[in-house]
Amino acid sequence: MHGLSKRYRHVPVLDELCFDAPAGALALVTGTNGAGKSTLLRCLAGLTSFTGSAWFRGERLPGSIATRRHIGYLPQDVGFPEAATVGEVLELFCGLRRAAPDSTGLADGFVPDADAQVGTLSGGQRQRLATAIALLGRPELLLLDEPTANLDSWARGSLWETLRAHRREGATILVASPREDEVVGSADLTLNLSADPVRGPHALAELATVRGGA
Amino acid sequence: MDAHVLRITRWEVQRLVRLRWLPAMVGLFAVGCLVNAFLGLRSLRALGLTGIGASLDGLVAIGVLLPPLLALVLGAGALSGARERDLLSLLAAQPIRRSTIVLGTFLAVSAVVSATVGLGFGAALVVLSGVAGATDLWGLTVVVLATLGTSVAAAAVGVLLGAVTSNRLQAVAAAVLAWFALALGLDLLFAGLAPGLHLGPRSLLVAVLVNPVETGRVLTLLATRSDPATLGPFGAYLDTRFGLPIATAMLGSALAAWIVLPVTGACLALRHRDV
Repeated sequence: MHGLSKRYRHVPVLDELCFDAPAGALALVTGTNGAGKSTLLRCLAGLTSFTGSAWFRGERLPGSIATRRHIGYLPQDVGFPEAATVGEVLELFCGLRRAAPDSTGLADGFVPDADAQVGTLSGGQRQRLATAIALLGRPELLLLDEPTANLDSWARGSLWETLRAHRREGATILVASPREDEVVGSADLTLNLSADPVRGPHALAELATVRGGA
Repeated sequence: MDAHVLRITRWEVQRLVRLRWLPAMVGLFAVGCLVNAFLGLRSLRALGLTGIGASLDGLVAIGVLLPPLLALVLGAGALSGARERDLLSLLAAQPIRRSTIVLGTFLAVSAVVSATVGLGFGAALVVLSGVAGATDLWGLTVVVLATLGTSVAAAAVGVLLGAVTSNRLQAVAAAVLAWFALALGLDLLFAGLAPGLHLGPRSLLVAVLVNPVETGRVLTLLATRSDPATLGPFGAYLDTRFGLPIATAMLGSALAAWIVLPVTGACLALRHRDV
């Protein structure tokens, strides 16, 4: 991305961000609450307009429908209809993505039972369902907004294992989290939006502190 | 039709039919239709007359009020509710056009409201079938079609309100206000302004065409009445000025525009808005 900026009613949220995440990289987008982590992911997912440019697969985002097929997005907190079953939710998104339910690469037991009603699921189980939707069809660019916020330790470990496998296959993964320790030892890049927003041509140099992936 | 539109439609229909208050609204409409049918028949019998004219009047009155209210509220709540729960962003992030979401939602609301109309009028038809003659069938058909057209137009307006408002509360409040304006307010406003502003028949015709509820009502009256004296001022003007076929086509086109324009507006609003 180059010079990516976003303002809400004249209040700058993202200001001239420059950032390059190579294929197979896991980037941690961190910063304090309100720093613009979710907004950045929403810009890249094509949900929010922005100035500047962001590129993926040689196409300027938000990109065509064909390009968006290779992007998976997990919102921070999505509310599915309480009366819907897990199977119905998955059926809808599998259809929209033209992907099989078992194409996520997630471990058995990660996704709640298909017959379970959303209203009976815990916050963590709903998060697992939303995560599965983001991973359907193993997209090449994953935008995950606080993916482990509500997960127990098994689910968190299982998800990271899946993401590492996904990354080995060449996927680029952006994880937004207020906690840097979230992906210690796994992230190749860190984009800190609160302490010192990455600006202009210095961005790539500042982000050159690439750590070895797990 | 795009398979994704049908997927969204099916998903949305599943969600709508599970709303707890929906059966109460559907039941209320069905009971209203039944009561109208019974009372209409009884009043005619008391006068020693036959036919289903009085029942049809009642069905027209209830048909242009309750189903449009239901359609406006369901349409407004669908997109705005999904936005509030961030489900809209998850849908919009999928490899589909945003207009797919709008069209799927509109079709779902239209289907549910049409089923409600079918159920209510179907119940009334059971009561009326014993006395209705072959000539009454045309009137019944027009009442059903005009009610469906008005309700689908209201669904389109509701979906537009859901696309342009920020949250569900705003959208539903706007929908209820729109219903009051369309069902009561605009008529009263024009009736009050007409003498003072010396509004002529053409202005009153515009007043009918800018209101889908009034368009549906006048369309029904035009198609079911043979006596110009019972058409009311708008209907009488349309009948004498243009003749029945052209007047019917004008009103039908106005209803079609009330469906196409709001849905197009909702597609454009969602395309250019952050979700």
